[in-house]
Amino acid sequence: MNFIIRAARPEDCKAVERMIMELAVYERMPDQVKISHKELERDGFSQNPFYHCLVAEVPEAHKSTEGHTTVGYVLYYYTYSTWKGRCIYMEDLYVMPDFRERGIGKALVASIAKVGTEQQCMHLQFSVLDWNKPSLDFYMSKGAQDLTAKEGWHLLRFDGVALIKLAQEAP
Amino acid sequence: MANFILRNAEPKDVSDILRLIKELAKFEEMEEQVVLTEKELLEDGFGDHPFYHCVVAEVPREKQSEEGYTVVGFAMYYFTYDPWIGKLLYLEDFYVMKEFRGYGIGSEILKLLSERAVKTRCSSMHFIVAEWNKPSIEFYKRRGASDLSLEEGWRLFEINKQSLLKMSAK
Repeated sequence: MNFIIRAARPEDCKAVERMIMELAVYERMPDQVKISHKELERDGFSQNPFYHCLVAEVPEAHKSTEGHTTVGYVLYYYTYSTWKGRCIYMEDLYVMPDFRERGIGKALVASIAKVGTEQQCMHLQFSVLDWNKPSLDFYMSKGAQDLTAKEGWHLLRFDGVALIKLAQEAP
Repeated sequence: MANFILRNAEPKDVSDILRLIKELAKFEEMEEQVVLTEKELLEDGFGDHPFYHCVVAEVPREKQSEEGYTVVGFAMYYFTYDPWIGKLLYLEDFYVMKEFRGYGIGSEILKLLSERAVKTRCSSMHFIVAEWNKPSIEFYKRRGASDLSLEEGWRLFEINKQSLLKMSAK
């Protein structure tokens, strides 16, 4: 099946919003999605974007049963390692179930790898849920290392009330 | 000793920042993994498009460390994005020299960053901690942090430069 990978445009944000929700449903956390295509447009397409996005598109003839031609996306941003310097972080990677097994996921990851190497990034990092076996297998086959298992890294968060409380105590 | 100030890092601070980065890496038993140089810190933090932001803790000359340093702590952060909630502040490194602990410097740095997170419309502040680093985990949990690896099962993965080159060449 024919597909192209291209940089997302502001008008793609509605499709990206739809797929973000599909991925959140798969990750069993749909109630945690609080933003819409409006915030995505504002935050991804200003002078200082907070993220970058690539989408996978199929021709009209191969559109999904609901009529969508944007069938996958990868959302990423640049990070910084105090040990190595510039890095790239893959925040979301998703291909609609009907369009899997056609190399689209592989092409999206390869596109990010290309961006990362062109921007002189030292590594690509991302997080996966421990029960998500298909994704774990996919990434391990590409040479990924599980740093949580290998080095014991845990992801922590201050949010909501805890963050506001901390901020109110600022000097 | 209660005297210290927190300020934004300036280009002249890169040598102190690298020194503190190496001290923290040594504590994390990964000193040999630090390949970053002062030149890269300068270009990447103080150029047209900064990849990171940094605050430093400074003490007066009369309170300098045994080796004569007045920059005694730092925190490096940048903005990331969660497609569910939007902008986040990511705390990459956070360190106070051993002889200057117990005076509230770490707490004040954390509060300052939290304030910046809230002021810049961030929903959350994220960071990683090694599971064996009990003092740090306690420090953060006392202040209301949640462990997403334990609570939701998130595992951190990495693909190194060599594998990236291999993937992008296909």
